[in-house]
Amino acid sequence: MTAPLDVPGSAAEAQPESVLAGVGKDIQGRSLTRIAWMRLRRDKIALGGGIVVVVLILVAIFSGPIISAFGHDPLEFHQDAIDQSTLLPKGTFGGVSGEYLLGVEPVNGRDIFSRIVAGAGISLLIGFLATMLSVVIGTVLGVVAGYFGGWVDQVIGRIMDVFLAFPLLVFAIALAGVVPDKGFGLEGNGLRIAMLIFIIGFFSWPSIGRIVRGQTLSLREREFVDAARSLGARHGYILFREVLPNLMAPILVYATLLIPTNILFEAALSFLGVGINPPTPTWGGMLSEAVRFYTLPHFVLFPGLAIFITVLAFNLFGDGLRDAFDPRAH
Amino acid sequence: MLTYIIRRLIGALAMLIVISMVTFGIFFVVPQWAGATPEALASRYVGRAATPETVHLIAERLGFYDPVAVQYGRFLKGIFAGAQYDYGAGVEQCPAPCFGYSFISGQPVWPDLVDRMPVTFSLAVGAAILWVLAGVSVGVLSALRRGSFFDRLSMGTALAGVSLPIFFTGMISLVVFSYGLGWTPPGGAYTPLLQNPAQWAYDLMLPWITLAFLFAATYARLTRAGMLETMGEDYIRTARAKGLREREVVVKHGLRAALTPILTLFGIDFGLLIGGAILTETTYTLPGLGQYAILAIRNQDLPQVMGVVLVAAVFVVVASLIVDLLYAVVDPRVRLS
Amino acid sequence: MRRKSALAAAATAALAMALSACGGGGGTSQQQQPAQSASGNGAQPAFNASLTGVFNPSTKKGGTIKAAHSADWDSLDPADTYYGYSFNFGRLYWRTLTTYKTGPGPDGNQVVPDLAESLGTPSDDGKTWTYKIRSGLKYEDGTPITAKDVAYAVARSYDKETFPHGPSYLNELLAWPKGFKGVYKTPDMDYKSAVEATDDTTVVFHLVKPFASMDYIVQMPMTAPVPKAKDTGAKYREHVISSGPYKFETNEAGKRFALVRNDQWDASTDPNRPALPDRWEVQLNVNADDLDNQLMSGSIQLDIPGTGMQPAALGKVLPDPALKARTDNPTIQRLWFVSVIPDTKPFDNIECRKAVMWAADRVANQTAFGGPVAGGEIATNVMPPGIVGQEKFDLYQTPENKGDVNKAKQALSACGQPNGFATTMSFRSDRPREKALAEAMQQALSKVGIKLTLKGFPASSYFSDYAGNVEYVKKNGIGLATHGWGSDWPDGYGFMQAIVDSRTIRAAGNYNLSVKNAEVDKLVDQAAAELDADARAKLWVEVDKKVMEDASLLPVVWAKSLLMRGQGVTNLAYNEGQQMYDYVLLGAQ
Repeated sequence: MTAPLDVPGSAAEAQPESVLAGVGKDIQGRSLTRIAWMRLRRDKIALGGGIVVVVLILVAIFSGPIISAFGHDPLEFHQDAIDQSTLLPKGTFGGVSGEYLLGVEPVNGRDIFSRIVAGAGISLLIGFLATMLSVVIGTVLGVVAGYFGGWVDQVIGRIMDVFLAFPLLVFAIALAGVVPDKGFGLEGNGLRIAMLIFIIGFFSWPSIGRIVRGQTLSLREREFVDAARSLGARHGYILFREVLPNLMAPILVYATLLIPTNILFEAALSFLGVGINPPTPTWGGMLSEAVRFYTLPHFVLFPGLAIFITVLAFNLFGDGLRDAFDPRAH
Repeated sequence: MLTYIIRRLIGALAMLIVISMVTFGIFFVVPQWAGATPEALASRYVGRAATPETVHLIAERLGFYDPVAVQYGRFLKGIFAGAQYDYGAGVEQCPAPCFGYSFISGQPVWPDLVDRMPVTFSLAVGAAILWVLAGVSVGVLSALRRGSFFDRLSMGTALAGVSLPIFFTGMISLVVFSYGLGWTPPGGAYTPLLQNPAQWAYDLMLPWITLAFLFAATYARLTRAGMLETMGEDYIRTARAKGLREREVVVKHGLRAALTPILTLFGIDFGLLIGGAILTETTYTLPGLGQYAILAIRNQDLPQVMGVVLVAAVFVVVASLIVDLLYAVVDPRVRLS
Repeated sequence: MRRKSALAAAATAALAMALSACGGGGGTSQQQQPAQSASGNGAQPAFNASLTGVFNPSTKKGGTIKAAHSADWDSLDPADTYYGYSFNFGRLYWRTLTTYKTGPGPDGNQVVPDLAESLGTPSDDGKTWTYKIRSGLKYEDGTPITAKDVAYAVARSYDKETFPHGPSYLNELLAWPKGFKGVYKTPDMDYKSAVEATDDTTVVFHLVKPFASMDYIVQMPMTAPVPKAKDTGAKYREHVISSGPYKFETNEAGKRFALVRNDQWDASTDPNRPALPDRWEVQLNVNADDLDNQLMSGSIQLDIPGTGMQPAALGKVLPDPALKARTDNPTIQRLWFVSVIPDTKPFDNIECRKAVMWAADRVANQTAFGGPVAGGEIATNVMPPGIVGQEKFDLYQTPENKGDVNKAKQALSACGQPNGFATTMSFRSDRPREKALAEAMQQALSKVGIKLTLKGFPASSYFSDYAGNVEYVKKNGIGLATHGWGSDWPDGYGFMQAIVDSRTIRAAGNYNLSVKNAEVDKLVDQAAAELDADARAKLWVEVDKKVMEDASLLPVVWAKSLLMRGQGVTNLAYNEGQQMYDYVLLGAQ
């Protein structure tokens, strides 16, 4: 993206110009990816976001060793850490201590730290893959609808309406009894995760699809698209080289904001009996459990914070990435 | 233009029929995969320890022994031609559009829906005004002061709103502002607008703000992104070169072009919200469509479910039509076809 | 939540369900409790003050009681309701032949005359019951209430197609004429073979078999008089004609209703109801957490369902002495348990069922259900304390109630599964306590090698489609199922028959999920036919023991609830018969 050139206050913003300045004369010989990487490297905040994302992914991958080093089995009950009459954690701030880094859950005393670490994998997987799925479907159909217009647009538009108004909850509540334990080479929670990614991704594409379509509608009338068209460019070229890059900003913003919703949605579905089977921890499940104890804000805080940090990191990184890859900067 | 609208309305009708068939189908067909019989379905709607005779009577009364297609036909007929309801002591005419009677309470569905619409509408409109104003202005300011403390702070706050579920923020807001400080009414307060506008606004203030807090984030982020994008365009440079004042440049040229995704999203959000602001209504005990929807789904009360799903679908369709019409207004280059 | 794809909207909706679904089990718990020592007069705001005495006694009239309910009323129609709170609250606008004695302590179990001048007179060895009703009774519109209206009300309650929710005791007990389908479908049919008004003040019930406890049956709202001229069948619930001290002012279904004084009610005909407040306002479908907050802050005075506070409020109330002093913690006659289903292998082998009994960690189970205060007492057998003749015994005693791995392993070996096995446990996914119970069971059983897969199902179809559906259970191999039961009848029959008699099992909608034992059935028949009360009570204890020996039902807790007294409420007492606060006693400051 191009920076605002002379908007008041833009002095504080740094990246593209300074990056170019630093690169100097050699710029001609560098590939887009290389330039992007150089820019990204200079963008400390974006890099910070990226590092957090990487750390989160590493945590998810190495959850086992992390838990055995710093916590307890995420499924194990610790009734000795719970006050038996109130069922609340003993000690201050939800039982935070050297023993339990982030305290314990009320009622059964499970280690919150371990559960957050153990839940990272499933939550990130669902949050991320489901978002990707809906972004891919939404972008493809949105661009096609907006660009070609006419009956294509009509048909896709109505399909989007149907999906938007689809009574997913009714579907989910009916589904509880028919979800199999085995299928597609997966079983147990593996199958459930795959199914959740599919359900969440498959039913959440229309909103992003509509945004993309709306943007495409105005983009296709723009001069550079006209120019490409009159030069005889094929539709595919125009779509991918001219239109799509201009859609990255809203798509990235919207997609990153969809991640927490998707994480929480898993919890909602398990409430109807189609989510991850308990006692496997997920962030959304922890958060919705915690809300029953909203008078203990720290119980809500940790899973909430995990989700918040994830979104923030994805957003910061996403912003930087978008800036770095902006096609009009070269 | 007119033919466009007519075509869209026909499309909308087709879509409503698809949605209603899907809902109906899910209700009957999916449980059948799991082996449910008409009696099993009926035993959801009787008191505890009901005798098999009672269950059979209810299955018969609700028409569960008929093929699904016949039952669906009956439903459609009720909507277009009305239906008759036997309430024991007599027979009542249920005029079109008759969405039928609750399987559990025996209450007609349509009057309930009509009765609850103003609550949800009040909630959605008030909150929407707040979040659009807040979201767009924060987004514009953030874009103009990109990288500043304000930008970072507002973005962080906005994202916190996205990461916390509304029933948490809602309950905390009630505990603090209603039961702690006494500034706002307790949960469940609602006064119709026409009865007392000031009280209406006072009662809904807290739900509005809480709901707006969650939505504002996305609008701020999208506006910011859009503004950053457009403010670099050539025509903005041209506008500035023309000597236009900065405010004019930002609002008339910059914001206008950044508005398309906002408008799209607003159409979706608002349409869905009028169909039922489910969590907010449940948290604050507002007797709107959202509360109705959640009760209907929890009880698996088909007539109520059908009613509320179709009403929600109508709002989705109408909102999407209005958004498409508005595209042409916001961006004159867009043609309706 | 925020982002609103169709699915995000759905997500919010499902979470909303989580929000509003923390209540206990459905069903009523109308029953009596045998004498317990009770004394004292708790006027001080102290923990359990209104269990043994009237709290803040008063005779001052006037004021408004604001009450709230976290769900919808099943029905306001006396023929169509089956919840304890409804039986209790309904007495404000209806009068039944008898009622539980108002007030605190063990006397609350006794039935006393209400519409009737005295308790029923049995004749024909208990096959005929005669009630004489008071004179000078009037409906809210001034028309007199006669014995005919009571007989009509009973006859109309027969029609379960119109009133599917109400109890069907009288359908089964009375000698209904052949072909009778209720007062609407067979309007010309004479039902006097079952119930008749021999004159304006005499109601006679004719039973198919001798039945000793008729006075308890007729305290149920089926005997609340309904004027035939105003009866609108299923629509009567919209405006019930009052026979009690209050009548409906407004009634918005699913939202709220208000009661005001019924000036036709004559206090001199009614020894049971002080009728202190001028007005009652009831709000429905209130967010359960918000309801607790309103109760604490004083913007409402009464939580209608009376099943106890939510976990968030418990976390606030229990550690705070001032708030705790405003609460009462009664034991209610409800059992939470786990069905161990013998249809599912390897539970067809009793030793494998016993392994579950030995392996279960009862303390963890109790904690999962809310702990000793909000959850209940650890249950060791089926019948809760308070049921007539109940005996507490424990066939599966383990150290500190935490399970015995060795004994469980021995049982597993005896069952031929020394290394354990895998099975599925079902629970109601929208009930957090049942989920917690399932998790606790999974932890405990994993120690002996029994691997549980936990599967949640929606509460609204739990018994109809899943755990209570024989085909589904067989096909999907459900071995364990969470379950809860409260009785509406004060003895062994009323509590146990529905959950242990294998002959009640049908294709779907079962409440007995697991007890299929011919000896149990035989004992049930024996107990039901026994006329001597003491011998009968002993037989029910035998049934209880037999069920525990069968190891097909793992008791979890005998429930307790934590109730909060509203601010500004006078004359408050916990009533044993109602199993909650006595709503007709209440007054407002």
